[in-house]
Amino acid sequence: MMRTKGKTNSSERVLRKEERKLQKRIKQQEKYFMSSQWQLMARRLVKHKLAVISFVILAILYTGVIFAGFIAPQGLEDYSATYSNAPPSKIHFIHNGKFVGPFVYRYDTEFDKFRNKIFVENKEEIYPIKFFVKGVPYKILGFIESDIHLFGVDNSNLPQGKDPVVLMLFGADKLGRDLFSRVLIGSQVSLTVPLVGTFISFVLAVIIGGLSGYYGGWVDTVIQRIIEVFLSFPTLPLWMALSAAIPPGISVTKVYIFITIIMSLLSWPNLARVVRSKFLALKKEDYVLAARLAGVSDFKIIIRHLVPGFMSYLIVNLTLGIPGMILGETSMSFLGLGMRPPATSWGVLLQECQSISNIANCPWKLIPVIFVGVAVLAFNFLGDGMRDAADPYK
Amino acid sequence: MVNSVLKVEDLKIEIKLDEGMLTPVRGVSFEVRENETLGLVGESGCGKSLTCKAILGINDKKCKTTGKINFSKDGSEINLLEMKKDSAEIRSIRGKNISMIFQEPMSSFSPLYTIGNQMSEVILLHMTKDKKKAKELAIEALRRVGIANPEKRYNQYPHEFSGGMLQRVLIAMALVCNPNLLIADEPTTALDVTIQAQIIELMKQLQKEYRMAILYITHDLGTVAQICDRVAVMYLGKIVEIGTVHEIFKDPKHPYTKGLLGSVHKIGGNNERLFSIEGTVPLAMNLKDRCSFYDRCVFRDENKCNRPEPCLKEVGKEHSVACWLYESNEPHEKEGI
Amino acid sequence: MPETILTVKNVSKVFSSKKVHIRAVNNVSFEVKRGETIGIVGESGCGKTTLGRCIVRAIDATSGEILYLAEDGKVYDLQNIDKKTLRGIRKEVQMIFQDPFASLDPRMTVFDIISEPLRANFKLKRNELEEKVKSIASKVGLNPSYLKRYPHAFSGGQRQRIGIARALVLNPRLIVCDEAVSALDVSVQAQVINLLMDLQKEFKLTYIFISHDLSVVEHISDKVGVMYLGKMVEYAPTEELFRNPLHPYTEALLSAVLIADPTVKNTRIPLEGEIPNPANPPSGCFFHTRCRYCIEKCKTEDVSFVEKKPGHFVACHRADELNLRGIV
Repeated sequence: MMRTKGKTNSSERVLRKEERKLQKRIKQQEKYFMSSQWQLMARRLVKHKLAVISFVILAILYTGVIFAGFIAPQGLEDYSATYSNAPPSKIHFIHNGKFVGPFVYRYDTEFDKFRNKIFVENKEEIYPIKFFVKGVPYKILGFIESDIHLFGVDNSNLPQGKDPVVLMLFGADKLGRDLFSRVLIGSQVSLTVPLVGTFISFVLAVIIGGLSGYYGGWVDTVIQRIIEVFLSFPTLPLWMALSAAIPPGISVTKVYIFITIIMSLLSWPNLARVVRSKFLALKKEDYVLAARLAGVSDFKIIIRHLVPGFMSYLIVNLTLGIPGMILGETSMSFLGLGMRPPATSWGVLLQECQSISNIANCPWKLIPVIFVGVAVLAFNFLGDGMRDAADPYK
Repeated sequence: MVNSVLKVEDLKIEIKLDEGMLTPVRGVSFEVRENETLGLVGESGCGKSLTCKAILGINDKKCKTTGKINFSKDGSEINLLEMKKDSAEIRSIRGKNISMIFQEPMSSFSPLYTIGNQMSEVILLHMTKDKKKAKELAIEALRRVGIANPEKRYNQYPHEFSGGMLQRVLIAMALVCNPNLLIADEPTTALDVTIQAQIIELMKQLQKEYRMAILYITHDLGTVAQICDRVAVMYLGKIVEIGTVHEIFKDPKHPYTKGLLGSVHKIGGNNERLFSIEGTVPLAMNLKDRCSFYDRCVFRDENKCNRPEPCLKEVGKEHSVACWLYESNEPHEKEGI
Repeated sequence: MPETILTVKNVSKVFSSKKVHIRAVNNVSFEVKRGETIGIVGESGCGKTTLGRCIVRAIDATSGEILYLAEDGKVYDLQNIDKKTLRGIRKEVQMIFQDPFASLDPRMTVFDIISEPLRANFKLKRNELEEKVKSIASKVGLNPSYLKRYPHAFSGGQRQRIGIARALVLNPRLIVCDEAVSALDVSVQAQVINLLMDLQKEFKLTYIFISHDLSVVEHISDKVGVMYLGKMVEYAPTEELFRNPLHPYTEALLSAVLIADPTVKNTRIPLEGEIPNPANPPSGCFFHTRCRYCIEKCKTEDVSFVEKKPGHFVACHRADELNLRGIV
């Protein structure tokens, strides 16, 4: 008796467990049934590992953009003749056989037998690296003012008449400026120009491509011909020509605006074509006809059915267009046609690499190339993942 | 006793999804005999196409297939599932001994090559190495499926043919190697009514000529009634009823089969409401451990049917059904659709 | 005697590109009485879908009149109508589409899809809207809890119900069903056909039922029109047409139906050749190239669409002399 009872109990338990499992599954399915296009896309995107990694990398890079002033130990305008072309600071932990936490030594300059300047660590004094040190004032997002930096060197032990010691993770440039700080500050230009440029071309593409696709006829023909003209220009010479037209001596902000406009001017035609073709395809969909038959106005059809319909494709195309803009801005600045000192960007930083001797003697000056490469690849992979996720209904 | 050409035993196909294991085919067994047409009938998602793809070994990599698919070739039985995927051996069987025709004739041909080119390719692969002979065979095959002017048609491209003509060419191509088994997956669904009838007639006539077995997969009961000798009805990855076409249409046993047949309007019949099966097919993932048709069944008996799934039981000559209602061998009382 | 709700008079639709002019619909005329179901059958490319789209004014016919008796008792020519009046008429003439997957915007919830026509035409409060949508959803057999879902949650049959709900929500009087059940499975087809017929009784709907499936058309329609190469070749009450066809094309079409009964063997009347290129139709009777009763007159003389028996129209020179076979 007892045994059979135990048996039924256990089988009942199994049944109940099954039932619970089923309920859980049904709940999951219900969630799936109620997820919108963007939620479905996110589900798919998360499965694309490379895209997720790229997203994380980009998130880190853009955090750097926003908090550049805070993270960078040095400000935009700081320099020191002493540290001209200094190599990356060596971080030590042990001084005189005693563990004292992270610190750096001061660099003293000497000359070798060929009369070349060399940097030698002065091992007498230690300059501890501390978090949240006071430094140059900066603004985050243009309104949060502060002078606390994430990390930096405590210069309280500095002998009189010496330049303050700066922590130079990536070494220094010709003017003795910390390259790490400059990479961060430069990213404020290099990583935002593409975003702003993309936004402008997005607006242009939606309006022009939309008009072309919606009205058709001669409007379409004229716009298509204009697009073809734009596309037939070779990009690089056109960039150079347009950048050369930027008047010299204007403010940094204006240069920035000019560059973004040049960037977007060259990338909207392709996007406009994407918009137009999607527009034409979607116009023929049954659900658009159904909306038309129901008396929905043209404007509402565009806003409710057509724009959401191609938005995902457009965003994919935009993402895949960003690397080109990063490279464009970098190469323009590299050639001296983009941002100009005192403003900086990754391209401006790389200007110093135009001479071989510079690269040979100070290889750390190539570090910005790594950042350009990583950002470009990350955007490409992310765009790739998004393309796979763009149409979750297939 | 007639020999069977193909014997499928307890075929299971599992697909691993993120949400869990999905089993679209849950233990299917049937045989196709020499010179007969077996119809595999069911609605979309019942696993009929996956079953036929499993026989051909062209299922997706994600699918895990278990069971036995025994094909008798020259008197010996080969289990197709044990063969390596895309090995030379299976490829020689596929195309030569087993051939197939699909729903979309247009997408079965490459638009870049002539019809003749594509047909000869198959012949050169399986039949002969002589190019001239291959061309002769191809033209002969085209003639046999009723294509006028085969010499001229041989050199034309797929876009120069209409859908019905292309389906004929596809059939010619499938039959050119004299297969023992032809698998036809909804070959007439995409065609117009008049052409559909032509193709069905052609297949019937060719079956007599070539003496081959046909596994005919479709959801259209009209086609089934006109071409098949035996019918297997599938529901949610299982065969629920199998029997001769006359038995199934005259005296369907399984409530699903009854519902399916009742759903079809017969021309000339009365114009009352059509009988229809209630509800929708449940998601295969959410099946409970009982008869999978339970929730939609009009004849369900709570005492009898609320049990794990029934197996196929013989209820008459050449007629088996998987339903608890027939378990005690008493004829089912409630008649009438 | 119910009133005539729709009169299609000599409607033609020509699709032109630079060199080719295709007469997709060629001089088609017929009348529809209120509460009837008119079946339009024919093979792909015969112009039945184009005709349906002309009637709902999704496209403009090239010539001819489409006279519609609106709810206010006035007759409007849908071809010559100002935009404002057309908006009013649109509420009364709706369409159900073939492909249940393409006809619903995947980015909208079921509620948004069904309520869209209401929002476009009336200013309703949220709770009024909800009430209306819920009532129509339950009418077409959709669980109201499904309204928050997106279309990807549904199978073909349920999607078609959503499409039907959307068409019905404005209380239309005339619905064009363009192959509305062709993409569905057999049992689901039966469900949807039953639903359409129930709704017709309840709301006094008039259907124009376009399909290539003769058995479905026979089941649902009161009258049937047969189209071939853009022309209507025969138009008659359903039983009459299926029993006593007067056009050889109808006869061939009927003989090709595969009957779902293995004991009935339909002897097929073979149609020779293929459908001619619609851009370059044959002279005389369009069907003469494939007609087994063709005589010299058929090749040269145009045929007119005339009433041979009461309510039975046909376009055939030999309609009087031929004795054609229908389906019992």
